[in-house]
Amino acid sequence: MYDDINDELQPWVEMLQSSAVEDRLVAVKTLQHIGDEDAIAPLIDALKDEDTNVQKIAIAAIWELNNPVAIEPLMACLRSPDAEVREEALSALKELIAPADLMMLLDYIQEDNFYMQLNVLILLRKIHDAQALPYVLPFFESEQEELREAAITTLRYLNQIETCPPALALMNDESPIVRREATLTLGYLQDREVVELLCRALTSDPDWQVRGRAARSLALHKNSIAIPSLAQALSDEHWQVRKFTARTLQEVADESVIPDLIKCLADEYSDIRRDAATALGNIGNPDVLNALQQTLDDPDADVRIFSQKAIDKIRQKQTAIN
Amino acid sequence: MALTNQRVDVPVIVDESKCLEKCHACIEVCPLDVLVKNPETGKAYMKYDECWFCLPCEKECPTNAITVQIPFLLR
Repeated sequence: MYDDINDELQPWVEMLQSSAVEDRLVAVKTLQHIGDEDAIAPLIDALKDEDTNVQKIAIAAIWELNNPVAIEPLMACLRSPDAEVREEALSALKELIAPADLMMLLDYIQEDNFYMQLNVLILLRKIHDAQALPYVLPFFESEQEELREAAITTLRYLNQIETCPPALALMNDESPIVRREATLTLGYLQDREVVELLCRALTSDPDWQVRGRAARSLALHKNSIAIPSLAQALSDEHWQVRKFTARTLQEVADESVIPDLIKCLADEYSDIRRDAATALGNIGNPDVLNALQQTLDDPDADVRIFSQKAIDKIRQKQTAIN
Repeated sequence: MALTNQRVDVPVIVDESKCLEKCHACIEVCPLDVLVKNPETGKAYMKYDECWFCLPCEKECPTNAITVQIPFLLR
């Protein structure tokens, strides 16, 4: 049935045709252990086995052989109704696909199959090619939130994309999962409205993870327009939001946020006290020295160390001016 | 190396109802060669009470018949 099968492989390849699933499991496992490139054809055929366990082991075996001829047969596994088969095939393909496979992926993404579309969107992140953009954009309006989330995440991985107006609309998506990814993606876009949208998300989104991610994205933009919103977010009810806001203020801050940062030096969470101290050090105003001195006996060693660094930084700046 | 007398006390537990007689996957991957086939039943078992808790036997078993009981302090 197969050419070029050596004597060592022959009995196992024959056993792979057995009607007993136990035999096929043993055969595919043994072929995986032998790891012989000549077994690729029978292993590819085993991907169509009726038993999902045989399929999973065949995928693992093909993955280890790392042969690009298996890419197309593995792509077919992406539409399997079994979640574990799809997951295993996706992991294998993540390592097997190369930029040259872009056109093949773009063909598959047009197939009317939810699992195929979702997995191809994930695979496109490995290729980073901006040519995929026209194929990704229609998914922003998909009815399934998983596809909208995958599409907006993939956009973040495509090179040379600086503006994408359709992505901005997802900041108002009804699903918090989509908004979370959209918020992170906006950190990499340069559209005119991006900072304003991120500020709005930071101060008024009902989902705390969206607010936290908005703070992180604003750190990438380093735009001073965001300072009033960041100052407001320092009193957010969720500590993670306050923490990322304090971190962003280390990158972009002015003297107007000093009172809010000083309040954070007494925050319940030590990460926030530490990051606020560093932000105050970066602003460099000597008026905050008294407040920083008081954190030198903080119960958390990290806070004491970073407060001391902030104090040293402000004093160095003063010395340089004088 | 000490032979195991009580098979339930060893760290590598084989569910004999799932273990395939023709399969040797766990025996091949065990770095200490402590797993063998029972010639009477054809099922794998831990012959020597010596284990690195490295887990390939559990991972490679095609039917998930093997459970490695890792000591609490190594978890």
